[in-house]
Amino acid sequence: MLKIIKRYWLTISSPSKYYSLGFLSLGGFVMGIIFWGGFNTGMELTNTETFCTSCHENIYEELQSTIHFTNRSGVRAICSSCHVPHEWTDKIARKMQASKEVWAWVTGTINTPEKFEARRRTLAENEWHRLKANDSLECRNCHEFEYMDFTWQSERAAQQHSTALMSGEKTCIDCHKGIAHKLPDMTGVEGF
Amino acid sequence: MKSSRRDFIKANAIATAAAAAGMSAPVSASNLVATDNKLKWAKAPCRFCGTGCSMNVATRDNRVVATHGDIKSPVNKGLACVKGYFLSKVMYGEDRLQQPLLRMTDGKYDKHGEFTPISWDAAFDIMEEKFKATLKEKGPRGVGMFGSGQWTVWEGYAAAKLFKAGFLSNNIDPNARHCMASAVVGFMRTFGIDEPMGCYDDFEHADAFVLWGSNMAEMHPILWTRLTDRRLSNPHVKVCVMSTYEHRSFELADIPVIFNPQSDLAILNYIANYIIQNDGVNTDFVDKHVNFRRGNTDIGYGLRPENPLEQEAANSDKAGGSQPMSFEEFAKFVSDYDAKKTTEISGVPEKQLIEMAKLYADPKTKVMSLWTMGVNQHTRGVWVNNMIYNLHLLTGKISTPGNSPFSLTGQPSACGTAREVGTFSHRLPADMVVNNPEHRKIAEQKWKLPADVIPGWVGSHAVQQNRDLKDGKINAYWVQVNNNVQAAPNLNEETLPGYRNPDNFIVVSDAYPTVTAQAADLILPTAMWVEKEGAYGNAERRTQFWHQMVDAPGEARSDLWQIVEFSKRFTTDEVWPADILNANPEFKGKTLFDVLYANGQVDKYPLSDIAEGNRNQESEELGFYLQKGLFEEYASFGRGKAHDLADFDTYHEERGLRWPVVEGKETRWRYKEGSDPYARAGTDFDFYGKPDGKAVIFALPFEPAPEMPDEEYDLWLSTGRVLEHWHSGSMTQRVPELHKAFPNAVVYMHPSDARKRKLRRGDEVRVISRRGEIKTRVETRGRNKPPVGLVFVPWFDASQLINKVTLDATDPLSKQTDFKKCAIKIERA
Amino acid sequence: MKNVIAVLSFLLLTSLTNYGALAEERLITEGGQTTATLRNGPIDEEASPPKMSKVENNDIKRKRAYPMQPPTIPHKIDGYQVDLKVNTCMSCHSRKRTAESQAPMVSVTHYMDREGNFLADVSPRRYFCEQCHVTQAATKPLIGNDFIDIDQLINNDSPKSH
Repeated sequence: MLKIIKRYWLTISSPSKYYSLGFLSLGGFVMGIIFWGGFNTGMELTNTETFCTSCHENIYEELQSTIHFTNRSGVRAICSSCHVPHEWTDKIARKMQASKEVWAWVTGTINTPEKFEARRRTLAENEWHRLKANDSLECRNCHEFEYMDFTWQSERAAQQHSTALMSGEKTCIDCHKGIAHKLPDMTGVEGF
Repeated sequence: MKSSRRDFIKANAIATAAAAAGMSAPVSASNLVATDNKLKWAKAPCRFCGTGCSMNVATRDNRVVATHGDIKSPVNKGLACVKGYFLSKVMYGEDRLQQPLLRMTDGKYDKHGEFTPISWDAAFDIMEEKFKATLKEKGPRGVGMFGSGQWTVWEGYAAAKLFKAGFLSNNIDPNARHCMASAVVGFMRTFGIDEPMGCYDDFEHADAFVLWGSNMAEMHPILWTRLTDRRLSNPHVKVCVMSTYEHRSFELADIPVIFNPQSDLAILNYIANYIIQNDGVNTDFVDKHVNFRRGNTDIGYGLRPENPLEQEAANSDKAGGSQPMSFEEFAKFVSDYDAKKTTEISGVPEKQLIEMAKLYADPKTKVMSLWTMGVNQHTRGVWVNNMIYNLHLLTGKISTPGNSPFSLTGQPSACGTAREVGTFSHRLPADMVVNNPEHRKIAEQKWKLPADVIPGWVGSHAVQQNRDLKDGKINAYWVQVNNNVQAAPNLNEETLPGYRNPDNFIVVSDAYPTVTAQAADLILPTAMWVEKEGAYGNAERRTQFWHQMVDAPGEARSDLWQIVEFSKRFTTDEVWPADILNANPEFKGKTLFDVLYANGQVDKYPLSDIAEGNRNQESEELGFYLQKGLFEEYASFGRGKAHDLADFDTYHEERGLRWPVVEGKETRWRYKEGSDPYARAGTDFDFYGKPDGKAVIFALPFEPAPEMPDEEYDLWLSTGRVLEHWHSGSMTQRVPELHKAFPNAVVYMHPSDARKRKLRRGDEVRVISRRGEIKTRVETRGRNKPPVGLVFVPWFDASQLINKVTLDATDPLSKQTDFKKCAIKIERA
Repeated sequence: MKNVIAVLSFLLLTSLTNYGALAEERLITEGGQTTATLRNGPIDEEASPPKMSKVENNDIKRKRAYPMQPPTIPHKIDGYQVDLKVNTCMSCHSRKRTAESQAPMVSVTHYMDREGNFLADVSPRRYFCEQCHVTQAATKPLIGNDFIDIDQLINNDSPKSH
C-alpha cells in the first residue's frame, strides 16, 4: 500500500521523468479544456432560467405575461439576458459580485415574497444604476440603436428614439423601467 | 304582404339614416352666440349595476344627447364609470325592436314559424288565448313569469300583483335569483330582515376592507373609487382582496389572497376560531345581542331530485334547519379549523391567514367586509353570508360607521324591486312571505281583495322554472327585462329544451333582439330607462326616481304598460275559483285591471300631479297617474314596519333616500340605537328582525363543491363580468366604444396551463364540460391572471354562450346558481 | 320490471322531445333569418370566434360623443402598471410630466375631491384610469348605433344662417 502511494508521489512531483513532454503538454491542454469547460459550464448553469427561478420564482411569474417572454418573433429574454453582462470580463466581475448574493441566499434575505417585496425598490435601483452606468448595455445587446427602423415603430416611439435616444440625452433604462416585471414603489423616481 | 323582421329592421335603419342625412346639412363655422345651445338636464339613476350612481341626462328634440355623473349625488359625486358615461347610446342600437313580432306561418301563429310583425292587439290576442288555455287546463301552476332586478319598482309591483293576486300563481321570480338570493336568505337567517344595516358612508370610515369574492374594481367601479380614495388618502388603511384568481382589485391589495374554490368556508371558520383564541370576542356585545345555532349540514346541491348527489344528501329536504347551541359549543366547533387544516383546504399560507384574521380580531380596526357574486353564486352561498356576519357579530363590529358587513348588489333595483317589492316566488312586499297566512291576509287587505285569494304555495324559482318548462309543467311563460337564455345555467339540457318545448308559449319583452327573444314565440318591443318614469333601489337602501324624458321608438311600450294592458284581457270569472267569487259577489265579472289597478287606490292620483314639463306615456293613456298610485299603495306595506318610504313626490326632488325614512329623515345605520328610529331605547343594538332582538351566529362547516376537476375535466371554470359590459351585453355591446374596448369573450388562463396543452394566446379552443361547450380564444395576458388549474370566461358575449358549460347546481337554501365553479377541459378547436 | 320500462320510455320520450327542440332551432334560423343580432347564428351551434383584434395605437385623438365623455385611449397600454406602487399613466399625463411627454394633461376635474375642493395632485378617487378611459380595438362595431350628435340636432333646429 505504502509502495503504491510512493510511486504516485514520485510521478506527480516530477512528471517529466515518467512521461514524455509531448504527452504532458497534450494532457495539460486537454485538462485545461476540461477545467475551462467545466468552469464555463458552471457559469452557464448559473445563467439558466431554472437556476434563477429556483429563488426568484415570483419574478418569473411576473415575466410570463410580458413582451420579453412571448412576442411576435419568439425571440425571448431570459433573466441573464438583461441581468448578466455578455462580455466575458464583465460577466466574471458580475459573478464575483454574485458571491454576495450567495450570502444573501444563505441568510435568506429575500426568501419569501414579502421579504422580496420589501427590498424590491433597492434591488430595482441596483439594476437601474448599473444599466444607466453602462448605457443600457444589456438592452442594446439585442436592441441596437444603429439598426432601429423608425418607420416600423409607432409614431410616439419613433419620436422619442429619434430625439432623446439619438442625442444620447437618454438611455434605454431612463424610460423603459419595469418592462419585464413589476415596478417597485416609484415615489420620488425621476419621470414618475 | 308579409314582411320579415329583417326587412322591417332594414327599413327602419334606412329611415333613420335618411333622417340623419337630412340633418347633416353643411355645418357652418361655429357661431356660439347665434346658436340655440340649450339642453334639458334631468337626473336618473344609472341603468346598470347596483351601486346606484345618479346621472345627469341631457335631452333635446326627444333624444338623449349626453350623460355624466351627478355632482349632487352622495353616491358618486359627479363620477361615472365608462359604462355610465356611455348611457346616452344604449337606447340607440339600430336593431331596436319597435313592433311586436310573432312566429307565424301563413298568417297564423306557428311555433315553427318565422317572426312576423303584428299589432299590439294581435299580440295580446294570442297571449290571452295561450294564457287562458293553460289556466283552464293546468290552473295557476301552469303559467309563469320571469322578471328582473331591472324592473322599476312599480313594474315589479304591478307584475307581482298580476301573478299573485290576479292569476293566483306564485310562479313569478326575478333574475335577482341568479344574483342576490343567497344574500337575501343570509340576511333573513341572521337578522330576520333583508338588506344591509350599513351604507356607503362606511367607505369613508373603515380602517380595513376585506373583499370576500368581489372584483369591485370592475363590477362596482364607483364604489371602488370611494374605497381607493379612503385607502390612498389614509396610509393606515388596509385592503385585503380575496379571490380564486387574480383580478384588477388586486391592484390595491395590501393583503392579496388567492384561495382554492369553495375553501372560503374553511377560512371563515379559521378567522372565527382565531378571534376566539386571541381574545378578540366582544363578550358584552355577544352576551346581549347574539344567539348561537348549529345549522343542518349535508344539504345537497339543488340539482334535480333524481341526481345521485341529491339522493345521497342527508338533509336536502331540511336544508334550512338549525338547533340552538352555546358559545362554548360554537368555540369548540370552529376550533377544528386551525391554521394547518385551513391552509391544507384553502392553499392560503398561514401568514396571510393570520394577517386577515387580525383585521377582524383587533378591536381598534373598523372593518368593512364586501362581497358579491363570489359569495352569492355558491352552492353554500347562504352559509358564507351567515359566516361573514359571524365575524362581525363575534367582534361587535356592526351597525356603526366603518364597521359594516356589506353585501353589494349586481342590478340597479335588485334591492328596490326584486327584494323590497317581493317579486320572488316565495315573497310579498316588505319582507313578507306567501306561505305565512298572516302575511297573505295583510296583503289581501292592503290590496282590497277577498280573503284567501293569494295562494300559499311557494312558486317555482328561476332554475326550477326552466326545469318546469322542459318538463311541460309550465306552458305559458312571460319574460321581462332579462336575457335568461344567456344567463341561466345549463342552456343545452334545461333552458333551450324548455323554451322550444312544443307545448309551451314563450313571450319575451325586450328592447333588443337577444338570444332569449330568439328562443321565444312572441317578442314584445319594450321601452327602456328614461323612455318611461321609473324608480330603482340600490344596495344601500337608497330609493331613486326619474321622469320619462323621451319617447320610446316606434310602438315600443314599457313593461308596466304591457302588464296593465294585459290585465284588461282577463275577468275574475275566468281566473278565480268559484267559491271565492260566490263568497264575494261584488268581484264577479270584473277585469283583473279593475280589481288590481283601478281599485280606488292605484287610480286615485290625477294626471295633474305629474310634475310639469314631463311626459308619462302610460298615465296619459289611462287617465290617472299610474306610477304614483302603484308606489303609494306599495309604500303602505312598509310604513310603520321598519321599511318606511317617503312620499312619492319627495323622491322626484331628492337624490334618493335610504329607508327607513321616518319623519322625513333617512336611516344610515340600522339596528343601532340613536341612528335607527326602530332600535328601541336602552337596547344599544336592537336586531328587531328577530323576536328577541338578537342576531344569530351559525356554526356551519366546510363542505365540498358538487363538481370538481378530475382527470378528464381537469380545470375549474369561473364565469363573471368585465368592466366595459354589463351582464349579457345586450345594451353595452351595442355601444361602439364599449364594444371596441372589450370586443369578444376569451378564456383567461395561466401561461403554463396553456403551454401544457400546447396552446398559445389567440388560439381557438373548445371549453368543454359534461353539459356543453363553446368555442373561444386563449388569453394569457391582460387583467385576469388565474392560477394554474383555473380559467375564467366572461358571459357578456352572445356569440359565446358560456352558460352551455355551467352547472345548474344551486344553493339548496337560496336556490341561487353557482356560476363560479364547475369542471371543464380545454381542447384545441 | 314495470318501473324499468317506465323509466326507459320516459328517457326515450325526453330525448325525443329534446332532439325535436334542438333540430327545430336550426330550422328557424334557415334562410338567413336570424333574430339575435349579437349572436348572428343558431343558439345550439357554436361558431368560430373572431380573431383577437389589436388595439388601435396611432395616438390620434378621437371625437367625443359629448363634452363630458371621457376620451378613449388612442394607444396601447399593455403592461402599464397602475397599483399601490405606481401609476404609469401619470408618467406622461400628470401635470408635471406633460411638458416633456407632450401628452394631454388629465382634466382639472381630476384634481377635485368628493367635496369639490381642488387638491395639489390628482385625487385618489381618480387613481384607476381604466375605470373611465378605455382603449379601442381595431375592429368594427357589431351593430350600428343611431345616437345623434348634439351639433346635428342643433343644426337641424336652427334656421341656416349661411
